[in-house]
Amino acid sequence: MLLSAFTEDLLVRVYSKLGSDSDRKTWRLVCKDFLRVDSVTRRSLRVLRSEFLHGLLSKYKNLDTLDLSVCPRIEDATVSVLLSQAVNSVSWTRWVTRLVLSRASGLRYGGLERLVGACPCLEVLDVSYCWGYGDREAWAISSVRGLRELKMDKCLGVSDVGLAKIAVGCGKLERLSLKWCMEISDLGVDLLCKKCLELKSLDVSYLKVTSESLCSIASLPKLEVLAMVGCPFLDDYGLQFLEHGCPSLQAIDVSRCGCVSSSGLISVIRGHRGLAMLNAGYCFSELSAMVLHSLKDLKNLNTIRIDGAQVSDSSFQTFSTNCKSLVEIGLSKCVGVTNMGIMQLVYGCVGLKIVNLTCCRYITDEAISALANSCRNLVSLKLEACDKVTEKSLDQLGSCCLQLEELDLTDCCGVNDKGLKYLSRCSELLSLKLGLCTNISDKGLAYIAHNCTKISELDLYRCTSLGDDGLAALSSGCKNLMKLNLSYCNGVTDRGVQYIGRLGQLSDLEMRGLVNLTSEGLTAVVAGCKKLSDLDLKHCGNIDDSGFWALSYYSRNMRQINMSYCAVSDVGLCMVLGNLTRLQDVKLVHLMNVTVKGFELALRACCVRIKKVKLIGSLRFLLSTEILETLHARGCKIRWE
Amino acid sequence: MDHKEMPGPTADTWGKSFPLGNELLKNISSDDTPLTSSQRPQQKWEDPSMLDYNTRIEPPFQEFKQRSETQSSLPCNPNNQNKVTDEDVQMNGTIQTEKIQDWDPRAMLNNLNFLEQKIHQLQDLVHLIVGRRSQALGRPDELLAQQKQLITADLTSIIVQLISTAGSLLPSVKPLSGTTPTGQLGQLGGLFLPSTVGLNSSVQPQNNGGSKVSDQSNQMDITVNCGNEQNYNVEEHESKDDEDADEGENLPPGSYEILQLEKEEILAPHTHFCTICGKGFKRDANLRMHMRGHGDEYKTPAALAKPNKEATSEPMLIKRYSCPYAGCKRNKDHKKFQPLKTILCVKNHYKRTHCDKSYTCSRCNTKKFSVIADLKTHEKHCGKDKWLCSCGTTFSRKDKLFGHIALFQGHTPAIPLEETKGPTVPPDRGEGNEAINKVRSINFNFGSNAPNGNEVQNTADVKGNIEDPTGYFSPLNFDTWNFGGFHEFPRPPYEDSESSLSFLIPGSCNYTVPGSCNYTQKTGAESSSNNPE
Repeated sequence: MLLSAFTEDLLVRVYSKLGSDSDRKTWRLVCKDFLRVDSVTRRSLRVLRSEFLHGLLSKYKNLDTLDLSVCPRIEDATVSVLLSQAVNSVSWTRWVTRLVLSRASGLRYGGLERLVGACPCLEVLDVSYCWGYGDREAWAISSVRGLRELKMDKCLGVSDVGLAKIAVGCGKLERLSLKWCMEISDLGVDLLCKKCLELKSLDVSYLKVTSESLCSIASLPKLEVLAMVGCPFLDDYGLQFLEHGCPSLQAIDVSRCGCVSSSGLISVIRGHRGLAMLNAGYCFSELSAMVLHSLKDLKNLNTIRIDGAQVSDSSFQTFSTNCKSLVEIGLSKCVGVTNMGIMQLVYGCVGLKIVNLTCCRYITDEAISALANSCRNLVSLKLEACDKVTEKSLDQLGSCCLQLEELDLTDCCGVNDKGLKYLSRCSELLSLKLGLCTNISDKGLAYIAHNCTKISELDLYRCTSLGDDGLAALSSGCKNLMKLNLSYCNGVTDRGVQYIGRLGQLSDLEMRGLVNLTSEGLTAVVAGCKKLSDLDLKHCGNIDDSGFWALSYYSRNMRQINMSYCAVSDVGLCMVLGNLTRLQDVKLVHLMNVTVKGFELALRACCVRIKKVKLIGSLRFLLSTEILETLHARGCKIRWE
Repeated sequence: MDHKEMPGPTADTWGKSFPLGNELLKNISSDDTPLTSSQRPQQKWEDPSMLDYNTRIEPPFQEFKQRSETQSSLPCNPNNQNKVTDEDVQMNGTIQTEKIQDWDPRAMLNNLNFLEQKIHQLQDLVHLIVGRRSQALGRPDELLAQQKQLITADLTSIIVQLISTAGSLLPSVKPLSGTTPTGQLGQLGGLFLPSTVGLNSSVQPQNNGGSKVSDQSNQMDITVNCGNEQNYNVEEHESKDDEDADEGENLPPGSYEILQLEKEEILAPHTHFCTICGKGFKRDANLRMHMRGHGDEYKTPAALAKPNKEATSEPMLIKRYSCPYAGCKRNKDHKKFQPLKTILCVKNHYKRTHCDKSYTCSRCNTKKFSVIADLKTHEKHCGKDKWLCSCGTTFSRKDKLFGHIALFQGHTPAIPLEETKGPTVPPDRGEGNEAINKVRSINFNFGSNAPNGNEVQNTADVKGNIEDPTGYFSPLNFDTWNFGGFHEFPRPPYEDSESSLSFLIPGSCNYTVPGSCNYTQKTGAESSSNNPE
């Protein structure tokens, strides 16, 4: 046989050329030799189920990246088992440099400490959205001396003390994200800046830090990226510290900082001529001439976002003449964006690739045509709620911007079937949003389905003119579709939904308010879309238990489900929650046919793995405290409505 | 020498240094220094600079050699000295052990005797000067001035002595050490010498006993004499000491008067006593308020007014206090003496440093204090907001802790120990089988130090726990699946091809269907209608 002639190193080389996961899966299935090559060569692993974790880790010994973010039941006990097994054979933790434990809220400091302690080479750690993490977990993390990158977004319990632990323990930190770590104050940030001088990237978004923090941050010698989104106490005075600090600052995000105004921004710009990215969205009401004037000095500026600001045509004139290297501009919800302004902008900034014109209601086809003509490399364009845009714009885009990958036409009433026909020339499209475009029909969708076969995300929210035939075309054309939104497309029935079942790659499906959808349609979908992991069935009142039973049999990969306002009964709910072993996030509001006992049992069935559940508020007092405590102890967050 | 006859107890060190002093005395006597009173400090003076001085001022006094010799031999003889020394040593013992507080008539008598002698000496000296002046009129003014100052100083010292002797009769604060004249001396042509700090150690020890008035006056003599005669030398060799002594406060040494309270006075709860009923008060003002109750004469504005206000219309000397504890830095005999500012400071200092810490915090039962106010301050924030560093240092405020951590390499804030420990594993496991208990034990018992055995056991717990909820659904066996109407659904293979691998945790997959049927059985009619068996 020909394959046997290949030596192993040749096979490794071939294997390394494989692009996608599915290709690699095919490779593994060829023969034992190929499987062995895979297990020896594979460097990164994203585990979906804790049941397989044990076996997978004993098979792949050379991992450098382990992602457990979508794996349920990552707990102290699991970790112990994994590590105790490693004692006997060669440890899988040996080469692990990157560990993703995002949303592993069941893991507490004990397990975390052992896990990170077992990985001697660990450099990157992600514990974001482990909402229960506090100082103790931070302490465990601080034992990783070589840590370079740490993400702690929404570790709600981490306070200054925890941050101090990390700052002292992980002195080599280069990237740190503290988004939504609400307990952290100036003191912690100050200490961090004194101890971790290697920091290159810091995210303190949504923290209650003040200008004092900025004074400390300004002392960081290597900082390049600073994100301070939504810090309500940051002001111009603080930004003045930055003017003379952080010599290598390249990107700064001060969006939604209510106390920041033009003068603060100017001082930052004055101090950092090399600034490449500037996000000042929703900071100030008016983009002052002073700011624009100072922009002139930023020769490297490639990204600017001034969402929500009031601009004028002359502002665009300044952009056009001064910011020639601009690649991305965000003008979302800017007041005063006119055709003339956009035309002036694109006259100078021909290199624009990403343009966000969300809610710039006054621009018309004229501006879009100019944009398409000038910026031939356009990759992403957002035109949400630009209702003056018609098929003429799409014609220009379809003929000029063949690189276009992302287009948002949500709420653009002017888009019709003809427009979609023009647009379908953009064969590179990956994401298309047509929500609220009530004028498009099956015919238009068929154009897209036929030509834009790479599309992976399609939003058809409230496209009420759409029918089953459109979906039929879609299922035959867009085989790569991973994300689909059919919410409130009232024209869609079981027949149409059955076509959806043919989309094998679909992982994310929204079918809110499909009143015509019954168990039959749902059964077809779940039987066909085996990768389905996120399903929204809110307000699908006509699906009965049989549909949910099918769901519980087929959707083994279901991770997140919204069953609010569904007609599911006690049995159906228990089936779904008990059998879907990857399920982590459920919304169970207003289930009229489910009794308190049904909720209790269903939650019991899934309490070991569920991470987030939304329940109606009245249940808070009806459910037993035992189950609530169990859920809490397991790191499950209950949202009461 | 006169001072040898000084009655009463003198300092122990004096006794010790005596032999040396004696030698010096002889030397000096042979050097024919004419000034009797000045000889006493000189004998004790070990510093070579002093000797320098002697040689230097020798010439002007040469004429008086003989007289001075005779004079010095007059008041005291070696035997006498020795005797006194013996006494001194004895007295020292008594001083150290039983503190003198009550007025001692014998000591008073001694003091008075001493004063008498002193006055006689001065008389002689003045006689001498008068005689000399008549002999040699062409003497330089300098010398005359010096003599004048000498006399003034001696007079001053006598006055001081008198005052302090009288003062010892008062029950309240005794001015025991350096007195006002020091300051006055300071004004005398800038020739003053810091009374305590300035002198080098060989002189200092005199005060160590610190209790006898006569001692103080001796010291005064020294001061005066040194100041008068050896201005330059002294200042030179003391410049170093000055720097050390001044670090706390910028008062030049000697510019303040030093008071020293006795231990009993410091520790006494009250310092002001009613002369009528004997009740004690902490504050004079309170006493005055109290006195009103004893009659109308105490109610007059004059009686109620703050005393001493107008009495000391002359510029008051700054008062500073010395701690009576020998060897303490706040004791005036300490080389680097740093005075205490107020009586309250003395009290707090003495209690904090030299007393037992008798007040224990009722909250933490560990912190002890000797000053009750300290205890109260501590109790205010004891327990809460206790910021602890990994090095063991505690801070009352978070920012202080963070400042500390920022300063020291490797220090981190400590997370309280109680939480770390948590309940130990075995007892918890023993209790009941409720899922809750297990969950708790799993979540909180994973200490970093848990041995391997523990882990495995914990894992077992988890398994049990997992099966618990399942138990609701499947008392039936895995084999007895009953799908109801749904057995026509073929069971789909897992998307993950690794499904062939054995389950890590049993039960994760098991309750798929048994759960359903079991549930149906359990939860009554409405579901059984859906799911006919």
